[in-house]
Amino acid sequence: MEIDLSVLPSLFVEALAYWWVIIPATVLGIVVGAIPGFSAANTIIILLPLTLSMSAEAGMIFMVAIYTASRLGAGIPAILVNIPGTAGAAATPLDGYPMSISGRGQQALAISFTASVFGGLLTTLMALILIPWLSQVAFHLHSVEMIVVMLFGISLIATISADDTMKGLIAGLFGLMIGYIGADVVYEAPRGTFGFLELYDKVPLIPALVGLFAISEAFVVIERRVVLSESDDGIKVAPGWSATLEGIRDTLVRWKHVVWTGMLGLVIGVIPGAGAAIASFVAYQQSRIFSKTPELYGTGHVEGLIAPESANNGVTSGTLIPLLIIGVPGGATAAIMAVVLEYHGVQFGPDLFESNPLVGYGPFVAMAITYVLLGLLILPLTRYFSNVLVVPTIYIAPIIIAFTLVGSFVPRAYVFDMGVAIVFGIIGYIARKTGYHVAAILIGVILGPLLENFFLRALRISQGDLMTLFSSNIGNVLWVLLIASLFAAPLKRRLAGR
Amino acid sequence: MKIEQKRINRREFIALSSAAGAAGLLSSIPGAAQAADFPSRKMQTYIPTRAGGGADRNFRAFSGVWSKHLGIDFEPGFFPGAAGRVGYETYMAKAADDCHDLIFGNMGPEVLNWVVKKPSFDLGAYQYIIQVDADPGSIFINTNSSMKTIDDVIAEGKKRTLTVATSRLAHPASLGMLVLAAKTGMKVNLIPLSGGKNTRNGVLTGETDLGVLPATTVMGRKNINILGLFDEKIVLPDRMPKAIAINTEYKLGLPPLAAGARAFGIKTSALDKHPDRYAKLIETAKMTFADPAYAEAVKKAKAPIEFIAEGYADQCKAYFDDITAVGKEYKDLLTG
Repeated sequence: MEIDLSVLPSLFVEALAYWWVIIPATVLGIVVGAIPGFSAANTIIILLPLTLSMSAEAGMIFMVAIYTASRLGAGIPAILVNIPGTAGAAATPLDGYPMSISGRGQQALAISFTASVFGGLLTTLMALILIPWLSQVAFHLHSVEMIVVMLFGISLIATISADDTMKGLIAGLFGLMIGYIGADVVYEAPRGTFGFLELYDKVPLIPALVGLFAISEAFVVIERRVVLSESDDGIKVAPGWSATLEGIRDTLVRWKHVVWTGMLGLVIGVIPGAGAAIASFVAYQQSRIFSKTPELYGTGHVEGLIAPESANNGVTSGTLIPLLIIGVPGGATAAIMAVVLEYHGVQFGPDLFESNPLVGYGPFVAMAITYVLLGLLILPLTRYFSNVLVVPTIYIAPIIIAFTLVGSFVPRAYVFDMGVAIVFGIIGYIARKTGYHVAAILIGVILGPLLENFFLRALRISQGDLMTLFSSNIGNVLWVLLIASLFAAPLKRRLAGR
Repeated sequence: MKIEQKRINRREFIALSSAAGAAGLLSSIPGAAQAADFPSRKMQTYIPTRAGGGADRNFRAFSGVWSKHLGIDFEPGFFPGAAGRVGYETYMAKAADDCHDLIFGNMGPEVLNWVVKKPSFDLGAYQYIIQVDADPGSIFINTNSSMKTIDDVIAEGKKRTLTVATSRLAHPASLGMLVLAAKTGMKVNLIPLSGGKNTRNGVLTGETDLGVLPATTVMGRKNINILGLFDEKIVLPDRMPKAIAINTEYKLGLPPLAAGARAFGIKTSALDKHPDRYAKLIETAKMTFADPAYAEAVKKAKAPIEFIAEGYADQCKAYFDDITAVGKEYKDLLTG
């Protein structure tokens, strides 16, 4: 497949003519991204009647703009109030929130936005150039290889619990146990559902996510006067530009970090069934391993914030590549986009880039435009967003709980899920008070079922032969990289100590 | 037992539309209408799958026109989870038995659900009364596959175990594949991939040798060839030129295994209490099938009108009994 990049300038001009679609979709995307539970996928489903009434080109640009902007918007509550809006932003608070509570919220937001815009823009352009090669990734990464990719993410449990390994592992195992609640993927035999039918399809992710992070955080912050930590209570967030500029500079000087974590997200995004949550965990874990200052991760480290944000925005363009080239959506949002394009009679495949360049290249062009627009629109607002940190907790905590309960209700519209969020809120609160890492629990809840899914599928295909785990060349290379990455950091420390 | 399903083609649709006009006139004559006080509130419909899927699409197409004949709107409620089990359990626990509350599901996989694991309610406590489509189960392959026909598949399956992607084990399409394998001596290993999208992906990315799904979910897709339908005829030969009617060709002795057989169901107690209301539901449903607006709605929803199957309680019961019987025969393979 050959990509004719000479058409791009005219496509940019054509796509810009859809400004009336891009601007409202961008604003909407930021808002829905920032509200926990209101993912891009849900929003696009709700707006399907509107999208279907548009032309294929306008509909695609509209959906892409929402998708892109919501990814960035999800970082706002993750950083300011420790509430990742979606699973893709679950690794963002690991360093973003410590920055906020130490009075550097405005800077953290600027870092997050710059990494998202820079990483997203770069990976979008790279996606355009690498389409022929990236579209082949899905053909080579099957269940066996995906098991190793999942283990990259799960190994983050050990990484983030370096301070107290035992507690970290207990939290991680607890999360994995929760992740295995529900019917198994092969025989659909229910396990640990306590008789609740609502748990047959696993513990619902959004309620678990908002419960563990948001509700438990609301319980914790209510013990303080403001979100800022007690020691920094005196810090007033000055609504000036300096912190924003500092955040932008902090990110740009680490441009290499943005590039490689973004590219990691792009490649993971191409794999069907992977997605932003895995990309951000893997990027965070790899970033820490190869960092010169791994001990600073989890304390409000700039690199620890750049990695997940750049990676999850890299996923955004990656997920569209297999959809447009081979008709295989890389993720849930891309699958919904496929429905709309099929409705308009769009035929996926390499021919699409010649027969209808605005639909083929258009999503990437629209994505690039959206990123530029996001940068211009949202960076000046960081100074105002960060004022949330000085709002008295007697106001902010009830707002957090109310929004997150609504957010946990949205995906399935079950009142039961609001109960799940509260239960996880209590679990999260106890974990925080006793020194267990809620992120370690969450990694188990998110990645555990995926690991099980790929593991059981690989075993089923190989008819129970465990050696299938080492049956693929790509898989074996990934195994070596996994082991190397796990031992790289301790080895480096040991060598440095000599 | 053999299912006598009435499939409608375009011509029949046009012919029936004139009958609809007559029926509409009759129902408008004062005193001729049955159950005059019915419906007195919105028709609440429980859908045991997510919004935006095939059931949602078919429901909206049918209810949009049905509401015109019934004189009241339909309000869907989506209760996904546990392969439909959540929706049915919720319906049986909460729905009123006054004929205003219906369930709209896909009979095939959902009835097979009960074969694998019984629900908490008595299976006789609800019944399907209006079937709206019959989407046959299909065998499909990646166009790059070395297997080009069902005969190639069978020959290859006799040499080695073929991996077959399927939405889930307890599914009519999976059942068809198991029966074909048993009758021809081929070896297959069903790989449940949770949903149509993942099943297609499994075949397209080469993780499995072939796949089985309802025909509409793979028909006309790039890089996919449908090799056969678990049916007695090929309804749309121009859209699946390589497909053969497997049930007939290989004398499987199977009823048509409609993998998508969506139907409205209702509590049996509602039918017992309000036979007049039930009659009105059926009468207006018939008008809906005959209304050209329904064909338009189906077309607009991008579903092939050739898969519309007008069926009522008898046809639904026959399908229920058939799929239950075949499911029980292969229960061990469906449950491991």
